[in-house]
Amino acid sequence: MSIETLDLRGRSVGDTLPELAIPLDRTTIVAAAVASQDFEDVHHDPTKANERGTPDIFMSINSTNGFLDRYVTDVFGPATRFKKVALRLGVPNFPGDTMTFSGEVTEVAGDDVTLKVVGRNSRGAHVTATVTITPSQEAAK
Amino acid sequence: MKELEAQFEQFVGQVAEPPRVARYAVNEAMIRNWVEAHDDLNPVYVDADAARETGRSGVICPPAMVSTWVMQGYRRWRAVQRQQADGVVEDHAYFRLLALLAEHGFTSVVATSQEQEYVRELQPGDHVTCHFTIESISPVKRTGLGLGCFITLNKRYVDQHGDLLVDERFVMLRFDPSTQEKVA
Repeated sequence: MSIETLDLRGRSVGDTLPELAIPLDRTTIVAAAVASQDFEDVHHDPTKANERGTPDIFMSINSTNGFLDRYVTDVFGPATRFKKVALRLGVPNFPGDTMTFSGEVTEVAGDDVTLKVVGRNSRGAHVTATVTITPSQEAAK
Repeated sequence: MKELEAQFEQFVGQVAEPPRVARYAVNEAMIRNWVEAHDDLNPVYVDADAARETGRSGVICPPAMVSTWVMQGYRRWRAVQRQQADGVVEDHAYFRLLALLAEHGFTSVVATSQEQEYVRELQPGDHVTCHFTIESISPVKRTGLGLGCFITLNKRYVDQHGDLLVDERFVMLRFDPSTQEKVA
């Protein structure tokens, strides 16, 4: 784990999560798109991406969702279970960007903890997400 | 544009395309490719003992990976690209909608938002089918990428028994890049 793991239990509204910076090179963006079987040219072909109005290839939404999962379980550990993820994309993630995740607890209801998570690059928020997680059944005992 | 927008109504609520049945069961090799690409070191995706320590019965699939199982693969993707270039429209509501939009110059796509509710965690051996419905289509709007409209799809992922795994709302913008206003 690259960052300190927090216990999901005992979280309260307003708690902030440690940040995680993820450098994104061209290979990362292509590898993540292909790992999800997404062959849309905008995720691997710079010339085609230009024709479609963007300056370079950009990260796919499924990859963004994957990195978001990774951030949340990097923070809260492997017992974390996802109930709901709602994410909205802002500025694209291009090769050479570093996306830095940060987050805070926005709601605690029974075993459920809801987080607001933002992944930013140098141009602004790439992703803004609301994530509801529960500890494992075992951890909840 | 009013003429185009008037045609959206016929698509709303329609089954977008036939159910997509995964080409293969959820499996550890595809999961490993995914977690390596995301540099995700969570052991529950690759180590059964570690997963059992967290109360699971074995390794689980990363939640965000659900759509991967119903992607159609490289060969089919190439075939669809060729069909579109040749103006062939498969007889499904979603293909007809995309063809209609393409006729009006809306040839490009970006995803803008996604909501997924996870009913249960996927495990190797699960066989996923996804049911797609066109939930809504926005009027034509001016966006930072050019003129376009937002299409919302509902995707219901079920297992081999028909039980719900994930309920998703997926929004994408179909746009015309030639109408982008350059920022000076």
